[in-house]
Amino acid sequence: MALPNQQTVDYPSFKLVIVGDGGTGKTTFVKRHLTGEFEKKYEPTIGVEVHPLDFFTNCGKIRFYCWDTAGQEKFGGLRDGYYIHGQCAIIMFDVTARLTYKNVPTWHRDLCRVCENIPIVLCGNKVDVKNRQVKAKQVTFHRKKNLQYYEISAKSNYNFEKPFLYLARKLAGDPNLHFVESPALAPPEVQIDLAAQQQHEAELAAAASQPLPDDDDEAFD
Amino acid sequence: MEEQVEMVGRAFADHYYNLFDHDRNALVSLYRPASMLTFEGQKILGVDEISAKLSQLSFDQCRHVISTIDSQPSAFAGGVVVVVSGSLQLHGEDHPLRFSQMFHLIPTEQGSYFVQNDIFRLNYC
Repeated sequence: MALPNQQTVDYPSFKLVIVGDGGTGKTTFVKRHLTGEFEKKYEPTIGVEVHPLDFFTNCGKIRFYCWDTAGQEKFGGLRDGYYIHGQCAIIMFDVTARLTYKNVPTWHRDLCRVCENIPIVLCGNKVDVKNRQVKAKQVTFHRKKNLQYYEISAKSNYNFEKPFLYLARKLAGDPNLHFVESPALAPPEVQIDLAAQQQHEAELAAAASQPLPDDDDEAFD
Repeated sequence: MEEQVEMVGRAFADHYYNLFDHDRNALVSLYRPASMLTFEGQKILGVDEISAKLSQLSFDQCRHVISTIDSQPSAFAGGVVVVVSGSLQLHGEDHPLRFSQMFHLIPTEQGSYFVQNDIFRLNYC
């Protein structure tokens, strides 16, 4: 959903809400997409910045109106006006700050209270940082709630397109939809250690075949 | 009398936000064991809990800019009700947030005031 003062388009567009603790990199993530950054609009009454992010698929263009807060989440939960009419969502945490992963269930609950049955991607950001506090195999919340999980690094663009591709496929109802062209992204600010990250991804895949722990939160303390 | 109450409100608000923006932990001196804070709907009772809440907010630097201050004498002898509106710029955020805050100030034996009630809200839909 675009803001009233924002240009609408004649191709499919969806409201994407991004939630997660302050400092997890939500704003950094959406700002990587350069045309979205040029066309973003701020609405002070809602306290939200909306970035229109276009992607090019084999079925045509798709636009995500990405709603990003002005930092209100640092004071507590967000108001319903932020979530309302959300059609898809990204929940972000910071793999270098354990508390941000512990708070994921709260964000998920708040989101689902207003937006029932929308596709959701869980993103573990900052995987470029050496000193991780949340290991890939410790991330199990998405399996309990049937969410998709991706490890990302906003500053290096690692896996930037993955959450959007997953959401586009779900929204289009076409598991074979794919992107035919990459959007212009801000140049990487850091490099990711690809060998180490491949190891993390392998651990994640191996963990997916293991039984779920009874209670994440306790196992995590 | 009217003017006195307005002066107390203004002096208090200037002091409070100056401490908040430069030495948040020092806000503890303004509350008492029976003080109440409602922060974005979360109810917090007592100086210790209030101090913990304020010092653990997940942002470091911030800057309050006051737009309006309105004060009235309260029914408690010498008490003052202060309502402040303004904006709050967090370090690293592009846009300021708007806020409203209400204080009920009670005079102390030493001729100063402490905060009996404190209600804070961000203003957005």
